[in-house]
Amino acid sequence: MGSLGRRLGRGPAKYSAAALVWRGLRGGQWPRIWRDAELKRSYDAVIVGGGVHGLATAYYLARNHGIKDVAVLDKAYLGSGASGRNTAIVRANYLTPEGVAFYDRSLQLYNTMATDLNINVMFSERGHLTLAHNDSSLRTMHWRAEVNKLQGVDSSVIGPDEIKKVAPSLDTSSHPRYPILGALYHPPGGIVRHDAVVWGYARAADCMGVEMHQKTEVLDILCEGGDGTDGKGPGGRVVGVRTSRGDISTPVVVNCTAGWASLISAMAGVRLPITTHPLQAAVTEPVKVFLPTVVVSGSLHVYISQTDRGELVFGAAVDPVATYSIRGSLEFTEELAGHVLELMPGVSRMRLLRQWSGLCDMTPDYSPVMGFTGVDGFLVDVGWGTYGFKAAPVSGEQMAEAVATGRTPELIAPFALSRFDTGELVGEKGAAAVGH
Amino acid sequence: MTMGRLGNAQPTEVIDRGAKLSFRWNGKRFGGFEGDTIASALAAAGEQVFSRSMKYHRPRGILTADYWDPNLLVQVGDDPNVRAGHRRLEAGMEVSAQNVWPSLRRDIKAANGLVGRFLTAGFYYKTFMRPARLWPAYERVLATFAPGGKIDLDTPHRYHDKRYMHPDVVVAGAGPAGIEAALAASADGARVLLVEHEHAVGGHLRYDSRDTAVAALAELRAALDASDVEVLTDSTVTGRYEDNWLGIVQRSHPVAVERLIKARAKTLVVAPGLIERPYVFAGNDRPGVITSTAARRLINLWGVKPGERAVVFTANADGDAAAADLDRAGVEIAAVIDGRQGHRVSSTQGSPRAVEAVVSGGNRIEADLLVVAAGWTAPTSLLNMAGDRPVYDPPAARFFAADPPGNVLATGGLAGDGTLDELRAHGAATGRLAAQRAAAVAHRLQALTARAQPVGGEEPPWAPDDRIPLGRDPHPELYRSDTHGMVDFSEDVGSKDLMAAAGEGYDSVELAKRYTTATMGPSQGKLETVNTVAAIAEARGETIAAVGTTVWRPPYAPLTLGALAGRGFEPVRVSSIQPWHEANGVHTILAGQWIRPDHYGDPAAEVRNVRSNVGLIDVTPLGKLDLRGPDVAKLLNLLYTNKWSKLPVGKVRYGMMCAEDGVVLDDGVTGRLGDEHYLMTTTSSGAGGVWEWVENWLQTERPDWRVHVTPVTTAYTSINVAGPKARELVSRVTDGVDLSPEAFAYMEVRTATVAGVAGCFMWRIGFTGELSFEIHVPAGCGLHVWEALMDAGDDLGVGPFGLEGQRIMRLEKGHFIVGQDTDGLTLGPSTGLGPLIKLDKDDFAGKPELAWAVGRPLPMIVAIQPDDPNIVPAEASQIVAGDTNQILGRITSSRMSPTLGRSICLGQVEPELAAGGTKLTVLLTTGERVGATVMDHHAHFDPTGERLRG
Amino acid sequence: MLLVPCPYCGPRNSVDLRYGGESQPRPDPATATPEQWRGYLYRRDNPADWLRENWYCRSGCRRWFTVERNTATNEFRHPPMPGDKRGGKA
Repeated sequence: MGSLGRRLGRGPAKYSAAALVWRGLRGGQWPRIWRDAELKRSYDAVIVGGGVHGLATAYYLARNHGIKDVAVLDKAYLGSGASGRNTAIVRANYLTPEGVAFYDRSLQLYNTMATDLNINVMFSERGHLTLAHNDSSLRTMHWRAEVNKLQGVDSSVIGPDEIKKVAPSLDTSSHPRYPILGALYHPPGGIVRHDAVVWGYARAADCMGVEMHQKTEVLDILCEGGDGTDGKGPGGRVVGVRTSRGDISTPVVVNCTAGWASLISAMAGVRLPITTHPLQAAVTEPVKVFLPTVVVSGSLHVYISQTDRGELVFGAAVDPVATYSIRGSLEFTEELAGHVLELMPGVSRMRLLRQWSGLCDMTPDYSPVMGFTGVDGFLVDVGWGTYGFKAAPVSGEQMAEAVATGRTPELIAPFALSRFDTGELVGEKGAAAVGH
Repeated sequence: MTMGRLGNAQPTEVIDRGAKLSFRWNGKRFGGFEGDTIASALAAAGEQVFSRSMKYHRPRGILTADYWDPNLLVQVGDDPNVRAGHRRLEAGMEVSAQNVWPSLRRDIKAANGLVGRFLTAGFYYKTFMRPARLWPAYERVLATFAPGGKIDLDTPHRYHDKRYMHPDVVVAGAGPAGIEAALAASADGARVLLVEHEHAVGGHLRYDSRDTAVAALAELRAALDASDVEVLTDSTVTGRYEDNWLGIVQRSHPVAVERLIKARAKTLVVAPGLIERPYVFAGNDRPGVITSTAARRLINLWGVKPGERAVVFTANADGDAAAADLDRAGVEIAAVIDGRQGHRVSSTQGSPRAVEAVVSGGNRIEADLLVVAAGWTAPTSLLNMAGDRPVYDPPAARFFAADPPGNVLATGGLAGDGTLDELRAHGAATGRLAAQRAAAVAHRLQALTARAQPVGGEEPPWAPDDRIPLGRDPHPELYRSDTHGMVDFSEDVGSKDLMAAAGEGYDSVELAKRYTTATMGPSQGKLETVNTVAAIAEARGETIAAVGTTVWRPPYAPLTLGALAGRGFEPVRVSSIQPWHEANGVHTILAGQWIRPDHYGDPAAEVRNVRSNVGLIDVTPLGKLDLRGPDVAKLLNLLYTNKWSKLPVGKVRYGMMCAEDGVVLDDGVTGRLGDEHYLMTTTSSGAGGVWEWVENWLQTERPDWRVHVTPVTTAYTSINVAGPKARELVSRVTDGVDLSPEAFAYMEVRTATVAGVAGCFMWRIGFTGELSFEIHVPAGCGLHVWEALMDAGDDLGVGPFGLEGQRIMRLEKGHFIVGQDTDGLTLGPSTGLGPLIKLDKDDFAGKPELAWAVGRPLPMIVAIQPDDPNIVPAEASQIVAGDTNQILGRITSSRMSPTLGRSICLGQVEPELAAGGTKLTVLLTTGERVGATVMDHHAHFDPTGERLRG
Repeated sequence: MLLVPCPYCGPRNSVDLRYGGESQPRPDPATATPEQWRGYLYRRDNPADWLRENWYCRSGCRRWFTVERNTATNEFRHPPMPGDKRGGKA
């Protein structure tokens, strides 16, 4: 069974090549990845949102703090929201020292995730290029490189010739309408199989006793003692959650949703600095692998990577109109294709196979809102915009600490909700704009 | 099994037996006819195996013989993933199989099949974790198994075009119902576009050999030709977006490779017909197993005999018709197995490359062909995209539209079943309804447009849907037999994989899809989604209706990036002086959409020339807003931090604008040209944004103020004449203005005639630190005035200078640049212009935050000089605390000054370091740390500004 | 491609306009507390429901206007009004 099995406290469900062979020979069903439990009437903590953030928080609550009487609720299936729709880019090359420290911690956790969670998340460290097409952008790349280096993160600015070596399919000549002047090159960045991260955290948390409840929608948060109606609002405290499958009493509710953050927080009487916008993505048919690196262009608002199966995955900036409708648009694919062909004219014959979108909660300073809210027991891990997936491990770790200790951990102090009262916003706008 | 060409011409065939075409397949020469698809020509020549599957590399043959056939993806020249079941044969084509090595015949990766029991779907999640450092190597191995063709990165981006259309009614699908809908809508006066995926209209009638079908098709085609309906073939409606915005890809076009059409349809009729669904059983992917429509297409469209001896598994009338066609084509019918009677096919037997026998009810039947008619899938994608959630009907064994929005109407197979006449009648009724509703939409749109022609008459009522509904024929629910087989042929996912995934907890369709990758391949779920749902339902012991289905996403059919990108048309902005720049050795720089002169070969020389003689710079992109009205001063007071009420006519003032959070937004000078006439300038990059900012305030917060705003950025060519000899030069070409220093002081504005051009504005401002006149010339005459100045100043040593030279001189004078020296968090006072922030004014943009910032230590913009005058730190070099990694600021602007012969900088530093004389440590991008000093003033040169006030 | 009902130009493709966001009443800068002012700057209702919001007809008449749109279905209602900044949730 091995140490992992013992630590996880459950039977011989460990994943490995040997186990694959054994089951292949013997036949038989692998055990369920997470239990299908009955919903209890009370828990020590309820996490709203069964995506990577909620699941990572549950995992770390159990693993680091021994808090296991936890329910993760999702109104659909686990990972159905942003966690299942993103383009899975992980990197640490942010602009501010606090941002770099934060995302670098996350990147380190991604590096060991496959063994920590005993699931192959296919973390592929393949380098990350952020292209600059004008002076101002190139200056920002230098800024990021310098701050990264001071934090011990590997980033540097490279010129067109070196870019061509890293990604030969890019047009680094002066022909394009917006020629490439240089790029921020970040070798430790890469991509990961996003669904596997969801499943990995869910399985590991489940092994420790956390319950996962799908198709369980939170309809209201029950509060007492607050300034607003029904005891909600600042000064009050959480006493429970009303769901589509009944009421749960709990002293702690953590909002780990994306796309629904404002609506859930309104249930506790908390008004967030968020507007919700769709973010679209698309994928092509597979061809032989030719792009070894993740390529991002801030000015052209596009990012490109290629999966091991050979499909090109594309993304861009959020849609300009705030809406909860994620049907997608044609103009997104048109602009995207135009910019991709600017960068890689050779792929014009490749066909777009599928487009989709998810919801992003955008904040004024392109940084999340994490921690306490003024309603006792109601914490948030929201406002993740277009950069939430890469932060899942460290967010889970830090939010778990906040829940367990009742204090804001230093690493996430800059992201407190109160900064929107004091006006001390975080300066990440340059780095996070596109490029995930 | 041997396929081959039928000797006799078939009545419905589309091939021209007189027009032979030759091509190559895997290097070998083959022949076909005009009208063949690549696949039909190869089948006629006896080919059986066309590809190898993704994971197990099993040999695959024809399955559906159309666009959706997952086994027929081939490489044609430099074009990967071509659908051989749809692409028409052309002479000289070089066609090859994809993802096989060394050859289609002997593919070494078929060894995967041997370890298939270990390589179940999703196996890679359970392994390859240790040792972690080997993952890149594992990845490279997995990448060699990646499916798909080859892309040649040197492929030129050939001509693609786009088209906008505004039809009243778009009909997607030209089967009998769709054609009738188009004809009826057109007869009712609507402008109609009919889009057909195949190469010819007719839908299933095209490969129906019965006399009634042939006659009906001829009738429909003739009616279409005689009508005003615009017909596009080999084209697909790829997506229905908000408010019936449609994407349509037109694949066969005489000039463009592929064309994207964007149409705002008032109503959309969805008539795609039905797609035949494969049946799941052991050996269902062996070459020799084909659908009934594949058999009928092969025989009736291309005259191909699909085999010698066939078993027909049929559960509907189309399967029966296929049996009749096979018989007519001389195929021996070994057995007909009737799914309506409860009989099933359990498996096929034979070699990996060919069917040799079919097992049913325990009996083994020798055959080289199995034709399967197990049921239909309704391609409801366009309805899904319109927000409809189709509902499964068990007796009919397929999904139907539930409640699409009123401007999207389904007809044909999507709406139900019936005789040919019933389908046609439903189509016609749909067309009439579509036309009526389109008329109502048109009326409403026009009524909403206040400035359009007044709309005539009453709005037509929203016609109720009183079409006689089509019936629903009962059909046995045939998804999986008593054995396991392939569900997703492209992804090599079988029913066993899906049921195992469900058992493991991936028991919703979305989870199972992600875990196994079923439905995520090139056939986009058309052939596999319903079977996937059925497998999950079976594993959970629930009905298909309870399990639901996946969300169909656009595009309905794949389309090239080239078509989506179109011609790659991107406008460029240049000033009227551009031809002169180009003729005089300019090095340009991109600034937004503008192409601007950066320098003409030697920026340091340009600086020296300006400071000794006189230089001209083209600053046309400078934002310019013409402001008129009695309340302009109020507006300036509102938007700038300083005071504007007492600016006399003829005077110019500098202003800084902040946003409502106190962050610096823009800056520039504004001059008063008349009592109620001002000209505001902004930064070049801020031109558009500031104009919108101004309009926003005037329209939404101060609508009672009387101010007219006209953006004149491009209406004027702007030339800055700078240097000690500037006055001399300008006076040689200017009429009507006394240019003497007493008459025309620093920071004043005049109207003048320059080089014979009336209506020029001229003001004395000085960001370069030299005596300078900025002349704004009506743009049509810009080049003329520039050339006149160049000619007139020849003996004065006049020369052009560009942005680089200007930047150096601005930096020598310590002028910060918004967006370079300031950033998204820089508050007004940080610029050092605190005295310009007049907090005793009434409300102005940013006032509250600026007031609360008083007394708060803020990062400051300061002038910095490195101790070593030869070191020019790169912009964005960090300012650090000694040897530590603590960041205290950064260098924001940095140049070597030709005037001072040393390096000069601006930077942002923490408040405690802002005082003149403070010593700093700058971390160069090389890693070296050097010393630098904060200067007393921002200006490194001529801090009192003597030179520009002269 | 959303059709946005400009009161002057009629329904136009959304790319021809600029989205101005939730309509928010501007507090009196003379009397607002920092919390109130920053609430105006940063906090939003962000409902999945009818919302009063502003648009700027950037490529057409260049007027700001206010409409009510259902952010879940993207339907618009009420004739659009010339720009005004009265409250968020409609």
